[in-house]
Amino acid sequence: MADVLGAFEQAVLLSIVRLDAEAYGRAVVREVSARLERDVAAGAVQATLERLERKGLVRSRLGAGTPVRNGRARRFYTVLPEGRKALNEASAMHDAIWSGLTWPLKART
Amino acid sequence: MTMPNPPVLPQALLHVLLPVERRESVVGDLLEEYRDTRVLSMGRFRANLWYWQQVFGFWLRDYWGFVLPVFGLFALRDVLSVFRSPSGHPYFNVEFLFGLVTMSPFVFLLTGAYGSWRTRRWAGGILATLATFIAVWLLITAWWNTTLYPFALIQQSNPYWIQAWQGSIHGAHAPSLFGFNPKSPSESFLRWAFRENVAAQIVVAASMLGMAIVGGGIGSVLGRMTPRRPGGYTQVHG
Repeated sequence: MADVLGAFEQAVLLSIVRLDAEAYGRAVVREVSARLERDVAAGAVQATLERLERKGLVRSRLGAGTPVRNGRARRFYTVLPEGRKALNEASAMHDAIWSGLTWPLKART
Repeated sequence: MTMPNPPVLPQALLHVLLPVERRESVVGDLLEEYRDTRVLSMGRFRANLWYWQQVFGFWLRDYWGFVLPVFGLFALRDVLSVFRSPSGHPYFNVEFLFGLVTMSPFVFLLTGAYGSWRTRRWAGGILATLATFIAVWLLITAWWNTTLYPFALIQQSNPYWIQAWQGSIHGAHAPSLFGFNPKSPSESFLRWAFRENVAAQIVVAASMLGMAIVGGGIGSVLGRMTPRRPGGYTQVHG
């Protein structure tokens, strides 16, 4: 089994999956922020992307820049098969942990 | 129409702090977000603050590991120095810890080496070291100013600190260079502790800045000479 993914790593990987061909740095930050319903620092996402790339779960390629970026290149990310496997394992583990319980848990008085 | 630009200084800092393979894309991402969203939704001033915050976040994520050990040693030494046995002897060998604190040039050397190795620029190492110095000093200053009063209340009942206070205020009053001598025989313990605290902040700032420049400079040269793989990036240009 691959390393267990942290919650933030899962959020970043799933954002790349959702964004598909449009998964570049800023788009991933916005997607993660929207999913987690909080402002997420670009540094946090970049550090995670760098780590995931080092682990061989994602790969990146440079794309063309746009005028609003002063022509600076965008770095597009793709989830590799190892990354999808890690996500599936994380999801399976999540299901196993929650199995038999109904969400949301009722507060005991 | 001219598009708004973030402040020049944080842009320049970000350029120096980022690894070469991420520089273009990250700076572009932040610029795009700044122009497309932040300025429109927050206004120019708050958007600039946001930009500063992002740059600080990039530095913090890469270098907090160098800040904490130095600050932690300072704080630990401070606590062990203040809380002494009634006889005035320290519960732990403070001199040993003082020796560890003087290791900070080595930490700055490592920071400089890591910074220049990561960014492939010696300036990246120097900037990382100076930022680490500022962060450590701010933390130490905050720690000292926060703990000054509660610690002084404890210290003033310990013979060791009473002797230090008396020795200081009744010490030789040699005229200083500028005819200024803050020491007075009637100086209270709290006032003495405050004055020592301010002096320590200035001395630590000056000595640590020197260590950061020397240690960081040497480290930056060493780090720049160390070969590095491009961080696992798949350099495919589309």
